[in-house]
Amino acid sequence: MEHLPQDPRPWPVRRDTALQDTVLQTTLTHVTHRLNNARIAAYRHYPSGEAARIRAIARKREAIQDWSVLLDRAEEEITAHGGHVKRAATPEAVGAYVLEIARQHSVKRVIKSKSMVTEEVQLNAQLEAAGLDVRETDLGEYIIQLAHEKPSHILAPAAHKNRQQIQRLFVDTVADAGEEVSEDIQELTRFARNKLRQDFLSADMGITGGNFLVAETGTVVVITNEGNADMVTTMPRVLVSIIGIEKIVQDWDALEDIIQQPALSGVGQRLSSYTTIISGPRARESWEGPDEWHVVLLDNGRRKIHGGPYQDVLSCIRCGACLNVCPVFQQVGGHGYGSVYSGPIGTVLSPLLGGMDAFGELPSHLCTMCYACQEACPMDIPLPHEIISLRETAVSERREPAAVRTQYRLWGQAWSTATGYRRSVTAARLAQRLAIRRVGLAAGWLHTRTMPFVSSVTFLEDWAKKHRRGSS
Amino acid sequence: MAKAALFVTCLVDLFEPQTGHAAVEVLDRHGWQVEVLGNQTCCGQFAYNAGHLQEARAMAQHFVEVFESSDADALIGLSGSCTAMVIHEYPDLLRRAGQSRGDSSEESESWALRAQAVGERLVEFGEWLHHEESLPLPAVKPETVAVHHGCHMRRILGSTEETDDVLRSYGAQLAEYPDAEQCCGFGGTYSMTEPVVSTKLADAKRTALSQAKAAGASCLVSGDWGCLLHLSGRMQHEGDSWPVLHVAEWINQREKMSAKKGE
Ligand code: SF4
Repeated sequence: MEHLPQDPRPWPVRRDTALQDTVLQTTLTHVTHRLNNARIAAYRHYPSGEAARIRAIARKREAIQDWSVLLDRAEEEITAHGGHVKRAATPEAVGAYVLEIARQHSVKRVIKSKSMVTEEVQLNAQLEAAGLDVRETDLGEYIIQLAHEKPSHILAPAAHKNRQQIQRLFVDTVADAGEEVSEDIQELTRFARNKLRQDFLSADMGITGGNFLVAETGTVVVITNEGNADMVTTMPRVLVSIIGIEKIVQDWDALEDIIQQPALSGVGQRLSSYTTIISGPRARESWEGPDEWHVVLLDNGRRKIHGGPYQDVLSCIRCGACLNVCPVFQQVGGHGYGSVYSGPIGTVLSPLLGGMDAFGELPSHLCTMCYACQEACPMDIPLPHEIISLRETAVSERREPAAVRTQYRLWGQAWSTATGYRRSVTAARLAQRLAIRRVGLAAGWLHTRTMPFVSSVTFLEDWAKKHRRGSS
Repeated sequence: MAKAALFVTCLVDLFEPQTGHAAVEVLDRHGWQVEVLGNQTCCGQFAYNAGHLQEARAMAQHFVEVFESSDADALIGLSGSCTAMVIHEYPDLLRRAGQSRGDSSEESESWALRAQAVGERLVEFGEWLHHEESLPLPAVKPETVAVHHGCHMRRILGSTEETDDVLRSYGAQLAEYPDAEQCCGFGGTYSMTEPVVSTKLADAKRTALSQAKAAGASCLVSGDWGCLLHLSGRMQHEGDSWPVLHVAEWINQREKMSAKKGE
């Protein structure tokens, strides 16, 4: 069975924890505003960027539409270069395959570059359970790995931590006895680099995700801002790239437009600082690169989305722009969603991949329907409409409390006729007079906000009265 | 004389009728004959956004029937959000809802087309006024105000500039404040089903608005009573009596002041 990891805490607990976390409240505002301002400035300074974005959308939509053919092509190309391809349907299938390779090569230590898909399949837990040492090498991922936490932002996994907390964490986990760790950001980065260097040198297996899989040449492209993927892909003996099947891109021409989008929208740069390109294992004559290269293509619920009303979400390039503009994300952060995929995209993707039982409350409780995500999304994914559709599914699957459902039904029935509407005005006045106000949906309003009273003469009543008099 | 049919909206009708009266006065001053269709109710957005598609369909069909019966030259909406709902959501909503309850595709399509025709005649109040010629009235002394645009006015109608221009042309000085484009947290029934986050967002908006207040803004103006009821409800609950006004009310006040000065 495909699945998605889920935080066992219910939404109100996740929400209240986030709202009470003063560090999170500060860091989150800072990170989301910084990234969002960078995005806006980047497009502003790049007038022809809009044309590239429009082309990128068209090509990416096409690639998703034709993905079976393209995935076959990619597989042929990878195999022709001496790589191995594994199609994995579930997280367990990924874990089993990677462990089997690790066994064949007597792998003890694994290093990884940042990858959301390995978070999705909880690869670290699977490998660690089998006795392997796994080390994240992206700074943010390294931090949350040491803290045993989940990413709180798809692009900035440690967005919920401040530098004092990171300093403490380093002291408590990886610093040698008596080793000084500064709170300065540059120093913290240097400290992590030094620690990671030892891991890079001793690792037997490297694991990357992949931002793109170019079908034409069977190439995996990984973009990072730290350059750590370069080392992950070249230093260890064995390399495994784990990629969601929706990362497929037809050719280099399409890639040229598409690859700009995560950089522009995610961090506000024309291009990410490092682009790591993997086309095969080390050739006989070259002295660099892995002896073996495996590409795992993960489904885990993606094929079910293909061909249905939500197909456009498969065009997501995980830039995180929708998170940065989302008012709810800005309040509760990634951990509020209880899924590795957070923000508006997580609100749509999590129930689609992980099911409505686990994630059905995301569309209802984590969206104010403000449309900021749609405006920000470089791939024009209609996130608000998809969220409405998921709410419709929740309603038709009767996931709301019965009383709420009844209230909507009666309300809808009454207000689709003028008579019903008038009657409801009378009823509301009566309830007001009897001071019955804390009922049904209205109760949710009253705890924190003053409720307006239904006017003693509504606009329509007043108009009717005057005009009756006027005409008679 | 051009005729306008007023799309009052349920919130204005029930809770803030003075906004409707103000709009009528402004329309009248600009030489429009006003028609108010007495059987109008609500656009159904609260149900649509919450995923209650069939309830929304029933209200949308009622809306279409009511407003297509009018021969007015324009339908003028007193909410950016409700106007956006009719123009941009109705056709697709009626198609999908018809399909999901098993109506024939001809029937759903015909509803969608009727809705589209109604939507083409509908314009939001601020946008309407933007296209009107200004009245030959003397200018009155400028007033600093804070403006909050509802998210649907901003992102679906895309008409915030028009309203800002109109307000400025009436002597408004728009006080700036941070994150003005951020949602206030209302979200229709979201304000009731998720009051904690909704209230937190109202407070974030109030904190931002305090800068506009400090810059001398006398009131908060918006084209959407949804946002305003939520924000003012929160303000009152916290003992803050800063006035909130609909655009139509503020404009009406200004026109009245000018008219008086001109006498
Ligand atoms: S949905 Fe759009 S904005 Fe959000 S991460 Fe994906 S591509 Fe970026």
